[in-house]
Amino acid sequence: MFLKVQLPWNVIIPAENLDAKGLMLQRAIIIRLLGDFAARKATKDLGYYHAVTTLDSIGEGRVRQQTGDVIFPVVFSAITFKLHKGEISEGVVHKVLKHGVLLKCGPIENIFLAPRKMPGYCYEGGESPVFRDKLSKIEKDVVVRFIVIGTMWLEADREFQALVSLEGDYLGPIS
Amino acid sequence: MSAEEEENATELKIGDEFLKAKCLMNCEVALILEHKYEQLQQMSEDPLNQVSQVFEKSLQYVKRFSRYKNPDAVRQVREILSRYQLAEFELCVLGNLCPETVEEAIAMVPSIKTKGRAHDDEAIEKMLNDLSLIKKFE
Repeated sequence: MFLKVQLPWNVIIPAENLDAKGLMLQRAIIIRLLGDFAARKATKDLGYYHAVTTLDSIGEGRVRQQTGDVIFPVVFSAITFKLHKGEISEGVVHKVLKHGVLLKCGPIENIFLAPRKMPGYCYEGGESPVFRDKLSKIEKDVVVRFIVIGTMWLEADREFQALVSLEGDYLGPIS
Repeated sequence: MSAEEEENATELKIGDEFLKAKCLMNCEVALILEHKYEQLQQMSEDPLNQVSQVFEKSLQYVKRFSRYKNPDAVRQVREILSRYQLAEFELCVLGNLCPETVEEAIAMVPSIKTKGRAHDDEAIEKMLNDLSLIKKFE
């Protein structure tokens, strides 16, 4: 699910970027904020960071004693993406392996569907491997509707992984 | 919410920050990200180089998974769904998955049928009809 969140951050403007003209200062704050934001990628609580939509407020700057840099507290809105346990969503198959299927959904590519979470489907190997039941098949590039049964945050990579299932009504591949 | 085990979207138990945050439907995100991308295109020759991988992957995703493309239709979908006392999260699941029957809608968003909420089958049916009308006239 995509979310619109409001975040308070501190933006540090180096002393040499400070300018008497107000517009240049605002510009420097925005550029610095966008740069910091782009470098962030994701957090455990809010998920993947996509784009800043609005800069809602810029507070009073505080001078740092040692360097002369100025810290501005800002509040801005941004779009993030996170999967929740119990959420039903749709993804695209990007890999079919004997021990399960990997899907991508939004920015997340490590979404795993294990064979025992897709009852009725049997693995068929070959050049383009598939999981097949009587009526439908799950192969590369197929859209699958799933329920999220668990997510995990990997701090080192700043990535999420998710486990999903097809056990439930109206879940499975969509033609 | 600290204990991860407690999170369960089927009962609308999701992190506090999300009950406060505004959820967005795929079609709304598509409009925003496409607009951002166009802005970048005007500023540089190679906009793909300017955006993060996260941005790029999600742009592809929402383009494929938007049920409504027209900005007016997108606005109407939110307006119609907001009339039904849904949580933000429920509203967006319905807008994203566009269930066709009442039974399917309840399977996608089980929390709309929990006790004490005023969603009978008739109201859900009407909501789905309204949504399919937008699709038809888009």
